[in-house]
Amino acid sequence: MNAVLQLTDVTRVHGTGAGEVHALRGISFAAHAGELVAVMGPSGSGKSTLLTIAGGLDQPTSGAVRVEGTDLVGLGQQERARMRRTSIGYVFQGLNLIPALTAAENVALPRELDGMSVRTAREEALQALEEVGIADLAERFPDDMSGGQQQRVAIARAVVGERRLILADEPTGALDTETGEGILGLLRARCDAGAAGVLVTHEARHAAWADRVVFLRDGVVVDETGTDRVEVLTERADA
Amino acid sequence: MSGPTRSGVRLAGWRIALRLARREALRRRAQTALMLVLVCLPVLAVAAAAVVWRTANVSGAEGVERRMGTAAALVYGSGTTEVLQSFDPDGTTSWVGEEEHVSTAAEVQQVLGADRPLLPIDREYLSYATDRGVGDVVVTQTDLADPLARGLFRLEDGRLPRTTGEVVVNPALVRRGPGLGETLTALRRSADGETRTELRIVGIVESATTRDDAVAAVLPGAIGMPDAPPQWLVGGAPVSWDDVRALNAVGLLAASREVLSDPPPATALPPEVVSDEPADETALTALVLVATMVLLEVVLLAGPAFAVRARAQARTLALVAAAGGTPAQARRTVLASGVVVGLLGGALGAVLGVGAGALLVPVAQRFQGTWFGPFEVPWPLLLAVAAFGLAAAVLAAVVPAYSASRNDVVAVLAGRRGEGRASRRSPVLGLVLIAVGVLAGLVGSRASGASPALVGASALLSVVGMILLVATAVAAVGRVARRFPLALRFAARDAARHRTRTVPAVAAVGATVAGVIALGVALSSQQAADERDYDPQLAHGYAALPIVGDADPATVRGVLAQRLPGAEIAEIAGVRLAGEGTWTDLSLDLDGEPFVLPTFGSLGSSFLVGTTVPAAVGLAPAERTAAEEALAAGRLVVLGRSEASPDRLRAVVRVTEDVTEEVVDERSRDVDVTLVHSPAALPAAAGILPPALADELGLTTATTALVVAPTISEAAREDLSEALATVAGTGELYVERGFEPDPAVRILQWVLAVLGGVMMLGGTLTATFLALSDARPDLATMAAVGARPRTRRRVAAAYALVVGLVGALLGAPIGFVPGVAVSRPLSRDDDGATLLAVPWPLLAVVVVGLPLLTAAAVGLCARGRLPLVARID
Repeated sequence: MNAVLQLTDVTRVHGTGAGEVHALRGISFAAHAGELVAVMGPSGSGKSTLLTIAGGLDQPTSGAVRVEGTDLVGLGQQERARMRRTSIGYVFQGLNLIPALTAAENVALPRELDGMSVRTAREEALQALEEVGIADLAERFPDDMSGGQQQRVAIARAVVGERRLILADEPTGALDTETGEGILGLLRARCDAGAAGVLVTHEARHAAWADRVVFLRDGVVVDETGTDRVEVLTERADA
Repeated sequence: MSGPTRSGVRLAGWRIALRLARREALRRRAQTALMLVLVCLPVLAVAAAAVVWRTANVSGAEGVERRMGTAAALVYGSGTTEVLQSFDPDGTTSWVGEEEHVSTAAEVQQVLGADRPLLPIDREYLSYATDRGVGDVVVTQTDLADPLARGLFRLEDGRLPRTTGEVVVNPALVRRGPGLGETLTALRRSADGETRTELRIVGIVESATTRDDAVAAVLPGAIGMPDAPPQWLVGGAPVSWDDVRALNAVGLLAASREVLSDPPPATALPPEVVSDEPADETALTALVLVATMVLLEVVLLAGPAFAVRARAQARTLALVAAAGGTPAQARRTVLASGVVVGLLGGALGAVLGVGAGALLVPVAQRFQGTWFGPFEVPWPLLLAVAAFGLAAAVLAAVVPAYSASRNDVVAVLAGRRGEGRASRRSPVLGLVLIAVGVLAGLVGSRASGASPALVGASALLSVVGMILLVATAVAAVGRVARRFPLALRFAARDAARHRTRTVPAVAAVGATVAGVIALGVALSSQQAADERDYDPQLAHGYAALPIVGDADPATVRGVLAQRLPGAEIAEIAGVRLAGEGTWTDLSLDLDGEPFVLPTFGSLGSSFLVGTTVPAAVGLAPAERTAAEEALAAGRLVVLGRSEASPDRLRAVVRVTEDVTEEVVDERSRDVDVTLVHSPAALPAAAGILPPALADELGLTTATTALVVAPTISEAAREDLSEALATVAGTGELYVERGFEPDPAVRILQWVLAVLGGVMMLGGTLTATFLALSDARPDLATMAAVGARPRTRRRVAAAYALVVGLVGALLGAPIGFVPGVAVSRPLSRDDDGATLLAVPWPLLAVVVVGLPLLTAAAVGLCARGRLPLVARID
């Protein structure tokens, strides 16, 4: 099975000399099509750094990052931006949407940035909103939507244009349990439809939606497990 | 399938950026309003000024009615047989004929057709008896009831003249003299004497042209033959350019309604009247420099607002980047704010400027002696001014846009500050630019080859160089803030941390101060040079009234005594130069060469006669004693600064006939001379003759002037001049007050200080309140740990102080660069010496006073209540 995302021996060092901080230390990790991988770990373990490097927002100090076979490290800023418009979708914990754009415009943003006509981009955006179940909110501004609705719009934006890699950084952190479950369900459904997903979370309950869980500590993968282990974790968390 | 083209992506990027900017402008209304005000105000001011200027400026076509009523043309004799003119004869004219010629109505009709209606019209400056003495009046002689004259005057009260004994006058004349129903005494003064004409005022009219000056109109012949070329209002069909050329060919000039309203192409003009004057380089340079500096000022003032908008948009920009936006897209998004605000501000400023102009026109009219033209809106100019607003807003957004595109997206998304590091190259480049500016200023202000363009460049380079130093200076203040009190420490460090917001504000203050100091130094130096070059005509405090004609000194003395009771009045005796149809000239020769004695002659004659030196001449006591001893010894006293000090000179007296200019008598003799140093380069008289010597030379002695002490106020001088106008043969009353700075310079210095204050206050207030809004979480934290409410006020005042003081301290020395460069040519004397006068009070006010005042004002205006919000970043 081909990996949509492949990180090989990735290291990220911030600062120099005495102020040097190792955010990631030689991590190798893959996410395949149809697979949702959860990344867990304590604060400062390197979860978010891993995600920003996977999305081409940050560059590793060393190592290789491949998305659909393209090495992001070898690309310039423009090309990495193009990858985010066409292949990689991001969902953050909160304040995901641009407040000055409507839901449809937020979703259409990557397509419009890619030079698509407003009309076509809007059609794709409405389709994506339909998939996440809020097509009727297309003309609303983020300020007029609930947190859950906003996250659905964010997911619609992350998947619009058939993008194959979805990177979600604690997407349910600002939501109540029920709404959060709904969002994770959407993410799961998108991966089941063929996309690869990486979900950063520190809640075992959320990790249970994943096929695999990768544990990070101090920038190193300390454990990697299947769903069985996740279920155990979930039970422990519920207890 | 081929991907989107690069231009397609760019276009789509601009579309999104403009949409975001438009929506952000609506979402952040208060901030947008501030940005709009900063862009709109200068546009409004310039647009209003443009409207007033264009309305005040009466173009040839607009002035047609006031010049020629309803006539097709105003035709008048040039005084010669052939002439060339531009489309408007008030412009360039060229006399071709060399013979004198008085044009006639028949000549006009010969060219334009015998059936043409002609209305004779003459305008003449005469005098009239006022309540206080004699004033000047412009008298029009024509039949105002004739339809051709309609539009020249507007009847306000009474009726038009029906007989030659009647007159209509304007309110300006009535204010100083007789009113409706009373008698106007018109005085025509000439070499032959004075003619008085009594006219009954039957109406009050308002002249279509003049508002302040006294104006009267009578029927032709009412006040005798005017001493001016004849003029006619020509009725009938339009007078074409060909007709005008035909009139020129017989020595007539013509202002044609058709030609003025719709001028032919410039190629139709005869080459002799085509002006080929080169453009005034200095004026052009000054205009470009002023426009650039204003643009820079607006850009710097609006800069902080755009920086804060860009910061507020930081997360939006980071989200756009996460969705595939490039750094260029971030730049476009911030620049689009400039486009939206600039378009709106420019359009709003232009429209409001038209309204403000409409309100200002009547106010400006009060200060103008002639009537303005019809209300005029110069749309192309307003479009350019609005475009200036757009350019200013876009330029103001450039630096914030560039900074925003360099933000660390990951840091911003994580809620941290993403502002990049300050450039290390900027301060070095700044110092280099300042050095180049100094060099350009020195080279551009050399005695040989001075270049206004180089001086202008020096101003611009040094100011831009200073702007590049601001970030370093602000950072330095942040570093040394450790020992400052809390509020000042917080303000200094906050200013250093938020460079994109602080730098433009400090730079705006710096540029303002630099401009104010530059102009202040130039004005002060020019004034100092004027004072150095000032040459008093009399001793300080004395007034002199020369008697140049037949005026009776006793009569003049009587008028003076009546108007200035208690004043000391002395008669000055001098050589009478004007005789009965002759002119007497006394000159001195040294070894056959003229011994030139420059003089003002303010005592009515170049040579005084007497045994004492009048105090009004202003000699030092020792010189005066020496002069009087010489006079007692029968020697001619010569006043001056001549390096040669001859003991004997040849006095030559020449008597010339006025009309033939023929020398009718010439006599000379050697005289003993004593040279006395005069404090003035141009003394009141060239010399003083003992009475016996004057007799020996056959010179006539008479009272040539009356001298008055103590000094007379300006108002009293004006009253006295009007009273003295009733006495024929008196000259202009001169009062020696010593060097008096041009009031315009003083007013300009005040305007500079006030303008500097307003700009400084504007820049500082903008930056301070934007900073306070930015610092809400920090202030909330302060409140949480027990800060008093007044802490916010102190922080606000401290912030204003940091911005104002750093800006002023950077700007003041920079102002000296163009200031000195401009001062050098302005203050250079004949020997090449230049002056530099530092306006210390202005410097103190601008550098110390204004920052403190601004800080105090900001501290008082700032709200004291500390915000109680949770930190969100």
